[in-house]
Amino acid sequence: MKTLCVDRTYSAGFAIARAYVVQDSSISADKNYIDDIDGHLFRFQAAVDKAIEALTLLSKTDDVFFAHLEIAQDPTLIKGVQSKIQKEYKNAEWALEETVRSFADLFLQMDDEYLRARGSDVLDVGHRIMMNLKGIDDKPLSGMSERAVIAARDLTPSDTVHMDRYLVEGILTEESSVTSHVSIMAKNLGIPALVAVKGLLENVHNGDLVIIDAQAGILIIDPDEDTEKEYIEKKEAWEKRTQKLNKLASLPSVTSDGKEIRLYANVGSITDIEQAVACHADGVGLFRTELLYMEQQDFPSEDMQYEIYKHAAELLGGKELIIRTLDIGGDKGLPYFDFGKEDNPFLGYRAIRLCLDRPDIFKTQLRAILRASCHGNVSIMYPMIISINELDTANALLETCKKELDTEGVQYNANVSIGMMIETPAAVILSERFAKKADFFSIGTNDLTQYMLAVDRGNNRISHMYQPLHPAVLQAISHVIQAGHKYNIPVGICGELAGDVNACEVLIGLGFDELSMSPSAIAEIKQVLRDTDAGKAKHLAEIALADDTISNIKINKR
Amino acid sequence: MKGLITIFERKTTIINKSGLHARPAATFVSESKKFDSTIMITNLDTGMSADAKSILLILTLSLTKGTNVAISAEGSDEVEAVNQLISLIDIGVGEESK
Repeated sequence: MKTLCVDRTYSAGFAIARAYVVQDSSISADKNYIDDIDGHLFRFQAAVDKAIEALTLLSKTDDVFFAHLEIAQDPTLIKGVQSKIQKEYKNAEWALEETVRSFADLFLQMDDEYLRARGSDVLDVGHRIMMNLKGIDDKPLSGMSERAVIAARDLTPSDTVHMDRYLVEGILTEESSVTSHVSIMAKNLGIPALVAVKGLLENVHNGDLVIIDAQAGILIIDPDEDTEKEYIEKKEAWEKRTQKLNKLASLPSVTSDGKEIRLYANVGSITDIEQAVACHADGVGLFRTELLYMEQQDFPSEDMQYEIYKHAAELLGGKELIIRTLDIGGDKGLPYFDFGKEDNPFLGYRAIRLCLDRPDIFKTQLRAILRASCHGNVSIMYPMIISINELDTANALLETCKKELDTEGVQYNANVSIGMMIETPAAVILSERFAKKADFFSIGTNDLTQYMLAVDRGNNRISHMYQPLHPAVLQAISHVIQAGHKYNIPVGICGELAGDVNACEVLIGLGFDELSMSPSAIAEIKQVLRDTDAGKAKHLAEIALADDTISNIKINKR
Repeated sequence: MKGLITIFERKTTIINKSGLHARPAATFVSESKKFDSTIMITNLDTGMSADAKSILLILTLSLTKGTNVAISAEGSDEVEAVNQLISLIDIGVGEESK
């Protein structure tokens, strides 16, 4: 029995199952003598470049990868491989495997224990390059055939697209962060997950029995009988509690003194919307459309988007569906679109900036949403707005689309609501002016916190400073709500904070009309909401707003 | 003709608690790469030398705390390279001295 722990967790629940290790370590090279020396040199270089690119990113948050980055660029390693290709006519894979192996052996023979361990660094970098060389990263989860806990170095959005969620008991990754795609996805699907588990792949092997306690951040490998029994009981108790919460979910979303606050869901796909409906969401406060784009080989056509938005609207019946227009860039790229190299992608060419720069891309989406708008209660929301001019320009493009559809005789809802995300300090400060022009606001607290505090939530060294309840953020939120209410428009929140039970009372007290969260969080938030007195919550929010510290807000909690 | 080849060399001692292990070695290598000169680092206790631009070869030198090293360079910026890298080692290669 062995136990590994993580500091921060994001999902909840328990998993007890065999591990399905996503292989990236035991790739054997096919060995051929080759004629096409230049071709193999080129392929090798491309694989190295790709590894360097990935490691450059990783090295920003973890020191280990800084050394890996140097290893991937090591002239002796590179020359070693090149020489085997050029002089021994070995194919790139074979040349790489031999060179990496000889270096790893060199380390493994050393007296110093620390240096012996460096052998695994060399092997790790070697594997990374080998995977690039063989183009292996394609659908690694499609081979899963029975219920298991997935253990992987990292899972990208394209990996998880091919995952059969009903087979996935839990997810373990060695490299991702709690704010990564895989972590958010696991929470949305209600899958217990631990990410950034140091030493995961060294300790977990295919078929090992593993236990995940996602709330506590504990992974137990090969548990003894008593431990297994203990966790089976814990898991059952947790599932009972969840069922109880689910029953509660069908009750109306009102505070104990009768104030109605809509509990919406954040979704990224039709599957998520099905789950939102199952969790009794009052609507969808954020439909992240970028996943539709990320899963494709090219920009999705208007018809394809229309079908998806229409399906989504129909699934929700008459409940509101807020579709956020393409929010790509930042940490989310597209395989078929070159964003160029950016020093600060989060401050770069992304979201509405890209859309206004490329009206062809934007209009395709707007037309698809408009066409879907007559199949349900559809609203449109623009991301990353910083100036009135952007809102006006986006609306002008929308008007153009409406006219085109009129001319073509295509139906749409002419009164579709147009809202915007408030996620930049600029939008906060200008919120009164925006309130005159928008039909609703939704505060994106993930990005807003990041931009207000100048803290990168993905950077492990400073992620503790990422505090959505920081007094500055609370002041900003309060300002936006007041601005919205002054002009009689509803204000919602669609950041992860909305699903945080510890923040719920303060958020109610601040005056939000709508909280939008992971579908799996709705039941628990509803329980807190129904136990909360809106008057008392308002008082709590006033105290929180006047407070200089963050910790007191939590102490004031029940 | 040998006398015409200039090689600039200086000596110092490793002060990092855990020696020149992965992270400081990586820092050292990225600094070395800024120079055009061919740079060698030698473990004076064992007599083994390595290319100062190769992290893998440097790691194999076992440069633990207290190891005496020499850095030599040959090329257009040899003096600057040696001086820069010697001072980098003398400040503990950017690691907190513990």
